[in-house]
Amino acid sequence: MSAESTPLLTVNDLVVSFKKGRQVVQAVAGISFDVFEGETLGLVGESGCGKSTTGRAIVRIEEPTSGEVAVEGRQLTGLGRSELRKARTSIQMIFQDPVSSLNPRRRVKDIVAEPLDIWKTAEGAERDAIVREMLEAVGLDPDVAGERFPREFSGGQCQRISIARALVMKPKVLICDEMVSALDVSVQAQILNLVEDLKAKYGLTLVFIAHDLAVVKNVSDRVAVMYLGRLCEVAPSDDLYALPAHPYTQALLSAVVEPDPEKAASHVALTGEPPSPINPPSGCRFRTRCPKAEERCATEVPELREIAPRHQVACHFPTLRA
Amino acid sequence: MSNDTTATDAFPQAEDLSGPLLTVKDLRTTFSTPRGDLTAVDGVSLELGRGETLGIVGESGSGKTVLSRSIMGLLPRSKTTQSGSILFEGTEIVDAPDATLRDIWGAKIAMVFQDPMTSLNPVVRIERQITESLRLHTTMDKAEAKATAISLLGQVGIPSPAERVRAYPFQLSGGMRQRVTIAIALACSPRLLLADEPTTGLDVTVQAQILDLLSSLQAERHMAVILVTHDLGVVATRTDRIAVMYAGHIVEMASTRRLFASMAMPYTQALLKSTPRISDPSHTRLTAIDGRPPDLINPPTGCAFAPRCDYATEQCRIEAPPLRTAPEDPTHLFACWNPLQTGHAGTVTTAKGEL
Ligand SMILES: Nc1ncnc2c1ncn2[C@@H]1O[C@H](COP(=O)(O)OP(=O)(O)OP(=O)(O)O)[C@@H](O)[C@H]1O
Ligand SMILES: Nc1ncnc2c1ncn2[C@@H]1O[C@H](COP(=O)(O)OP(=O)(O)OP(=O)(O)O)[C@@H](O)[C@H]1O
Ligand code: SF4
Ligand SMILES: [Mg+2]
Ligand SMILES: [Mg+2]
Repeated sequence: MSAESTPLLTVNDLVVSFKKGRQVVQAVAGISFDVFEGETLGLVGESGCGKSTTGRAIVRIEEPTSGEVAVEGRQLTGLGRSELRKARTSIQMIFQDPVSSLNPRRRVKDIVAEPLDIWKTAEGAERDAIVREMLEAVGLDPDVAGERFPREFSGGQCQRISIARALVMKPKVLICDEMVSALDVSVQAQILNLVEDLKAKYGLTLVFIAHDLAVVKNVSDRVAVMYLGRLCEVAPSDDLYALPAHPYTQALLSAVVEPDPEKAASHVALTGEPPSPINPPSGCRFRTRCPKAEERCATEVPELREIAPRHQVACHFPTLRA
Repeated sequence: MSNDTTATDAFPQAEDLSGPLLTVKDLRTTFSTPRGDLTAVDGVSLELGRGETLGIVGESGSGKTVLSRSIMGLLPRSKTTQSGSILFEGTEIVDAPDATLRDIWGAKIAMVFQDPMTSLNPVVRIERQITESLRLHTTMDKAEAKATAISLLGQVGIPSPAERVRAYPFQLSGGMRQRVTIAIALACSPRLLLADEPTTGLDVTVQAQILDLLSSLQAERHMAVILVTHDLGVVATRTDRIAVMYAGHIVEMASTRRLFASMAMPYTQALLKSTPRISDPSHTRLTAIDGRPPDLINPPTGCAFAPRCDYATEQCRIEAPPLRTAPEDPTHLFACWNPLQTGHAGTVTTAKGEL
């Protein structure tokens, strides 16, 4: 990978809070990470840990409470409306539900052209050529598919259409939020392969958010594990899955079942459920469920630190390599 | 498995414990739709023993839910036609009168769905949702039913059950709600639990907890389970036997070990190969299955999988392959003209006249 180059996307101490009545939900509680050019960073964690909010804050669908997001060294946070609109075209987001994110009354070729029309980036023949190119790139026939309406397509094909629409702006960064979660395995495999191909073809940089750990491993170069608004561990995929250092990563990975009866389930039973983000535990947020927790975990917040090259963990008692 | 029956002492016992619990023969379920008739379950036969766990896997739309709802007798009568037979402990379910079904529901067959909110009443306290069925199917009085409800909540792993029993469903997390629906399903000690995607959409850690819970309760109660899922990992580790469905048919059925060790059906193999595995290195290329399942209103002639199958031959496109048994294992059934173990380079090893 391009570990030496400067990061393409930088997230620094990002905080996103929501008001819930008189209470405050800190959905993202100060996270920092870099994504390098041409890299796919996977983001995993249990439901409600703040994955989507992180993605939405990066593209500024959600306004960050504090912290910074920069693309190619250019701050997105703090930009004025019109500057932000322009800068934001270099980051596109793809969502879980492909069908509802497509306007049912428009033809596919016009749906795909939507961003070009909104930003007035291309018109006439040039616009049509870009749309054709992207429909072809995602494996749809522009002449046949382009004239049809979303309802005539399956879930997997609708996801292809959303990808084409995201790509017409020639983005640098693509944020994929559970983009294959609603699809059958056979179609999921088609889309995952397509993502890998498009990444190579267009030199895309990806943040791939999903709760399926096997899917995330398949497409990611590095993986970040999130728990209750914070990052627990960030490492190259193969390292993270082979040598998880954080007790939460270990519990998460051991709960995954392989399609193989000889590898019967033998998992670290994780008891209880994630605490409420309204009133998170002091110190390490995982301590209430952690088999290794000690006094220090209640008083001192563990910071992300490097325990091996490119392998960072936020735990007072990580499992270190022999 | 344990024969401990303490949990069921308060309940009427089934009289006849011999023979299979459930026998489905040539079941066909057809819906009439504006576009024409749609046969969602097409000639399915299967048997289920007492205490056995059968997994049903297949892609979306393959008929898993319609099959399990048919077994439960839960499909709306209008616009649905059924043929074939479903015998549950000797009682015919197909076209059974409502009174017969009401006796069976909850008491002998119970169901857990993917979305717990579809089976929970959001404005009724959990206590009443559990005790209602106990009062209906057993002779328990109010106090006994309440004590049983609390004990059931404890058994499904809900902390401080005596307090939680007063809660409303919305006050619980998704995982807790699914535990409550399991507690409700188990209240009357059913002989058969139909679990339709019981952990889909739950986090892996919660999924593991719920599946562990189901296995231990099942062993304790000697209850049979039909586990419907699209997740091959879940069936691989949690079932005795697996039925693979495609376009309304069972296309392969075998013991779980046998199926994974020597699958015969190209579709089963394709499903497995398209599933990303956590033990594979990252960026391992997946083998996708091109195309998508057929339209059930206009199913193709021949094998329904033929248009997507790497091994398809002319015969596959013309003639539907019947379910046949593997020579080495009579309990292994598959429907394929070019099964994987036999040379599939276009040679049909079994003469079709034989079948
Ligand atoms: N608009 C909002 N208003 C209030 N709270 C919110 C809002 N959006 C998200 N939250 C809360 O923020 C937390 C993080 O939510 P988020 O959707 O980012 O989680 P996630 O990791 O994407 O979960 P999932 O895997 O279920 O998609 C949750 O507690 C959620 O309830
Ligand atoms: N009430 C109904 N009327 C008409 N068609 C129906 C009805 N219920 C189901 N179907 C159709 O029957 C087929 C089988 O559906 P079923 O719900 O059993 O699939 P499934 O295998 O459970 O899929 P999934 O994995 O998505 O739950 C589908 O084509 C579906 O559209
Ligand atoms: S019968 Fe033919 S088409 Fe069907 S699965 Fe077997 S080889 Fe493929
Ligand atoms: Mg999300
Ligand atoms: Mg279903």
